[in-house]
Amino acid sequence: MGMRIKAKLKGDVVKVKAMAKHPMMTYDIAEKKTGSRDNANFITHWDGNVNGKVVFDASTSQFLSKNPIVKYEFKAAGFKKGDKLVMTWVDLKGKKKTGHAKIK
Amino acid sequence: MQRRNFLTLGAVAAATAVVAPALQAADERKAHPDAWTAKTVDDALKALYGKTLADAKEANVTVKTPDVASNGGAVPVDMSCDVECESFALLQDVNPESCVVVFDQNDVTIPKNSVKIKMKKSGSVYAVAKGKDGNLYYGKKTLEVALGGCEG
Repeated sequence: MGMRIKAKLKGDVVKVKAMAKHPMMTYDIAEKKTGSRDNANFITHWDGNVNGKVVFDASTSQFLSKNPIVKYEFKAAGFKKGDKLVMTWVDLKGKKKTGHAKIK
Repeated sequence: MQRRNFLTLGAVAAATAVVAPALQAADERKAHPDAWTAKTVDDALKALYGKTLADAKEANVTVKTPDVASNGGAVPVDMSCDVECESFALLQDVNPESCVVVFDQNDVTIPKNSVKIKMKKSGSVYAVAKGKDGNLYYGKKTLEVALGGCEG
């Protein structure tokens, strides 16, 4: 699917764990394995919103692990169980992937 | 502040142009491109926040990793900050470039994150927060890496 997301409302905080499927190939590995640094590709931006409100915003580098995992939290005020969290990543080559999960 | 632009990859500019403007999410790659090519922690911090570690207080920020990471390709890092901040960044001093990830903050985000990162060898990670009060706060953790991780 590209992204696995779990969002849980606990008290006044929503806790999220998200995993993206991506090789996160660094420039060094691209050069070593393919002969060209131009083949490097990794997620450069990853964000999340609930009903259009940004709840997560990360600018990322080649140094997140392969199939990167991130945990984050945001204040639950204004959100409730059943609300849909939509996350999107963009990579160096311009590919975009969106995933979503309901807050439980 | 002199901006030396090392970026030669048009692909980075193309990638940032694809981000949906409707989300109104910040994008540190567009805002501070030099931060992503900086080789040292101080150069990355200068590009991101206009300050260096010497200007920062080693307080209010916690960063945790294992003392010995068995796999340098996936070092677990927990970072948190207990002051209101605008931005929360993770850097290290062993990879070809220093900046790993920058979490932009707004009125609902909480500066508390966990990620897994690559570390080429033993060294230090730094979690740095730009406080709403304009100060920089940081926490540092030095660790051993058993098997270097930039090689995949």
